Amino acid sequence: MFDDMSPDDLEYVGKKAGRPDMLEKLTGEATFVSDMSLPGMLHVQLKKSPYARARIKGVDVSKAAAMPGVRAVVTGDELDYHIGLYIVDKYILAKGEVRHYGEAVAAVAAETIEQARAAVEAIEVDYEPLAPVLHHMDALKPDAPLVHPDLGTYSYIEAVFTPKPGTNIANHTKLRKGDVEKGFAESTYVVEREYSCPSVQHVPMETHVAIVQWGRGDKVSIWTSAQSPFTVRNLFCHAFGLPHINVRVQIPYVGGGFGGKAGIGVEPLCAVLSRKAGGKPVKFQASREEEFSLLPCRSALTYRIKTGVSAEGKILAQHMTMYWDSGAYADYAVNVTRASGYSASGPYEIPNAWIDAYTIYTNKPYGTAYRGFGHVEFHWAVERHMELVATAIGMDPLAFRLKNALRPGSVTLTGEKIVEHTGDVVKCIEEAARRVGYGQLTEAEKAREKQTGWKIGKGVAALQKAPAMPSYTATAVVLKMNEDGSVLVNLALTDYGQGTYASIRQIVAERLGFPIEKIKVAFENDTDRDPYDWQTVASKGLLLSGNAAILAAEDLLKNAYAVAAEVLHANPRDLAHDGTRVFVRHRADQGVSFASMAVGFALPNGSGVGGPLIGVGRYIAQGLSNLNKETGEGNPALDWTFGAHGMVVEVNEETGEYRVLKIASIYDVGRAINPDIVRGQAIGGMMQGLGTAICEGYIYDQQGRLLNPSFTDNKIPTAKDLPLEVECAVVETPQVDGPYGARGVGEHSMISVAAALGNAIQKATGAEITHMPMRFEDVWRAIRDKEPIDNWITKSPIGSCRSVPEARPRS
Amino acid sequence: MVYEFRYLAPRTAAELAAVLDGHKEDGKLLAGGTDLIPGIRNGVMKPKVVIDLKKYSGADRLSYGADGLSIGPAVTINDILRCKEARERYPVLCDCAHELASHQIRNRATVAGNVVNASPCSDMAPALLCLGAKATIRSATGERVVPFSQFFAGVKKTVLAPGEFVSCIMVPAEAAGARGRYLKLKRIAGHDLGIVGVLMTRRDGELRFAVSSAAPTPVLVDSVTEKDSADEAVRKVLAAVSPISDVRGTKEYREHMIGVYARRLFTEVE
Repeated sequence: MFDDMSPDDLEYVGKKAGRPDMLEKLTGEATFVSDMSLPGMLHVQLKKSPYARARIKGVDVSKAAAMPGVRAVVTGDELDYHIGLYIVDKYILAKGEVRHYGEAVAAVAAETIEQARAAVEAIEVDYEPLAPVLHHMDALKPDAPLVHPDLGTYSYIEAVFTPKPGTNIANHTKLRKGDVEKGFAESTYVVEREYSCPSVQHVPMETHVAIVQWGRGDKVSIWTSAQSPFTVRNLFCHAFGLPHINVRVQIPYVGGGFGGKAGIGVEPLCAVLSRKAGGKPVKFQASREEEFSLLPCRSALTYRIKTGVSAEGKILAQHMTMYWDSGAYADYAVNVTRASGYSASGPYEIPNAWIDAYTIYTNKPYGTAYRGFGHVEFHWAVERHMELVATAIGMDPLAFRLKNALRPGSVTLTGEKIVEHTGDVVKCIEEAARRVGYGQLTEAEKAREKQTGWKIGKGVAALQKAPAMPSYTATAVVLKMNEDGSVLVNLALTDYGQGTYASIRQIVAERLGFPIEKIKVAFENDTDRDPYDWQTVASKGLLLSGNAAILAAEDLLKNAYAVAAEVLHANPRDLAHDGTRVFVRHRADQGVSFASMAVGFALPNGSGVGGPLIGVGRYIAQGLSNLNKETGEGNPALDWTFGAHGMVVEVNEETGEYRVLKIASIYDVGRAINPDIVRGQAIGGMMQGLGTAICEGYIYDQQGRLLNPSFTDNKIPTAKDLPLEVECAVVETPQVDGPYGARGVGEHSMISVAAALGNAIQKATGAEITHMPMRFEDVWRAIRDKEPIDNWITKSPIGSCRSVPEARPRS
Repeated sequence: MVYEFRYLAPRTAAELAAVLDGHKEDGKLLAGGTDLIPGIRNGVMKPKVVIDLKKYSGADRLSYGADGLSIGPAVTINDILRCKEARERYPVLCDCAHELASHQIRNRATVAGNVVNASPCSDMAPALLCLGAKATIRSATGERVVPFSQFFAGVKKTVLAPGEFVSCIMVPAEAAGARGRYLKLKRIAGHDLGIVGVLMTRRDGELRFAVSSAAPTPVLVDSVTEKDSADEAVRKVLAAVSPISDVRGTKEYREHMIGVYARRLFTEVE
């Protein structure tokens, strides 16, 4: 919508505009669930499993229940609710068996948090420890213990997923395109490699927290730090068999989510405690340690890629196998597998492709959505692979990328044809390369090398992502005019820090033609007051809700014009408006103010016309389809946002230490509605991507206990870790069905940062790293050993999965 | 964990010594609390009585006199960094102090706490070892002085007996002017515990190395002389350490980095 408007004709879109939540957040005025307290509220503490896998022989809560202040104690045995987004495989509290270290076995609600803690310590659990299956590659072995022996009895979304009962495979996504055998036969080179990355934590500043009150008549009120009020309500109602009108979900300001607060979280746990405590409100706030092992993480991945290339460097065939570590429950990991499966090659054209993507249960904390939804992990593999294939066949990696990049006329893995307005990955790659001076060192860089003794290298990596969401994902926006002619915007898309509300505000102001100061986007979300939105995930918010906002603005104007036409005795076609009034176009002095119509116009004699002015906009994704379960064919992508990073790094070859000197990130956002928000997303995501690349990752011992469940040994980057120089820019190839041509960029900034770093390190030193994070030690080892190495972390809990470099020129 | 304890805050050093004497088994001293509070929170430490030493007069005394720099047990890391005498006369003390954690933690954490905690990755220990500092250890029955070279007894263990506390750390006047540098390898550029750390000082032709995160205790190496070759210096330093593999790094990498740092310091520190 309005994708072809010139920037000169736009008042707010594409211009500077502040964030509506800035003052509240900077001054600490904004209220989060963490800040909230209700009269009579109880506090929750959990008894958690010290084993990765064990049979629960008995739970004795008698002592705990009798302790002072304790109002409710709940164990898994008394609960029979299965929850799950796509595969319904999880109990609220472990029942019969614990499936990962840190899993909750029993819960206490007490008047004070200290009383709850004391009661939890008094709970006695009798476990029979069982041999866990820890590494996802081990879980595929025929004799592996089954994490879910009852997989065959679980309900799941059959149109989309394929679990394999009797195995640890929660889902198998397939994609078949062209003739892979033929493609390999025609290839001059075949290169096969394996890449991997560990589980990581989202680490939102505000940990998971909810307050739930199970009121009289089974009316449930939920206040939660979550990304998606309606999905919380929907899944909650399904789990408890409650009518939707009984449940109200409110989300105030949220201190970050990054995917970890998508779907449903700790709300059902608080609910059963509140019910048992006679309807008192119950609050649970996860500790930082619980974020790491009770709540979900990002799945680990092992990705094997075999590529056939022509003598000219054109990819002819690619065989791809993804092994996703789901942990103990399927949650989002099955859909990460699906979304990664259809995007598995990155932004490159693969004429003949064969993909198997498996989601594998293990006895570890479970995987969920995390910014990028699988794309950070598999782009690490794909973009390192592109580099290594290019190196193996003696071609410049940049030239190799450009030769194989998607262009108008290319066909994606699922059979979608790329057109002129899909987005321009070639331009992104070229611009990223240009901005870091790819291919050579400047005089200043050469001088720096000489002075420091550190080697400087430059790399690029490209990326793509489409929203991973149901094909019929929908949203709505409602505008309500206030008595003074200002406008309140209601929507259930949640702004948990990403800044979408700033952009929505600009879009509404633009389409209404009102001063932006007159537009307010209401921050707190409420399923009883706001119109429906599916979830705030997938970088789909701006596109879908932006379109709905445009339509709502048009509806509001139409309704205002209808009243004005009556008041002014004019035909609506002859009316126009400015920021304050509707007037007759050919007699501009005859008009009526919005303020006078806002809640109903009063004629001079006192009788009323119209009524409160409201605008409604609804928008649903169009033209998408489920993918064929055998071939992967179909149309999964609302829009593709392409991008690329250029990276300059300096490496100390003696120690493996490195520093990022510069990163340039380019995204084809269609149109940057708010350039500052785009920049914020670009820098924030880039830093999160660097964290994944440099230092983050779960480390387990042989029993499946997390060895680094806090910031002591699970480091995340700090302000001091910012690259010396950061550039971000956009390419703008308007998205025809995007609001003013825009497409999403929330997740993309994190994708391929690690690969760009790996590529730059390789350029500088020859180190071939195939596992992230790339710790200094790994870089040192790779330089010293002059062969691809695995991160030493993979030795725990099981042996490594070595890469097999195989470049064979054919005669 | 729920943890209830008695909190006592003696007003004089003598009173502190007496209180501590009465709680030899169940008492724990609180200085900055940056190790004690996480320890209690994680259930690792379970003192019945927490005795705050910051409240007695003189606990935070930091002064320079004829004997050297005298550091009371409540003196924080940032106090050291703000102290003109420390900066001018003992720059390596400030180098090490600056590497310790983040600014916020340095506002709380104390010099004495950092060494009494006796973590192998203590950042202050290398400086105190190289500068020949001594701890004055006080108890209800008297005082004794122990040089830091004899202060550490094992992982998280010191020679302090129950009922004893460090009442003063003295950095001797003769160590003033020692030049040196502390190299600490971290996982990120921001605050982190060291993978390894090596300090070298040079004063009047005398060389000293101290290594953190490389053995059960911080290690002092005073056998390297100016006549040694760089290889010999590295060999002597490595002979004194015994690093392990853990989540922060392997033994192999730690040894490599200690070697790199020792060589660099030996050749670069004038």
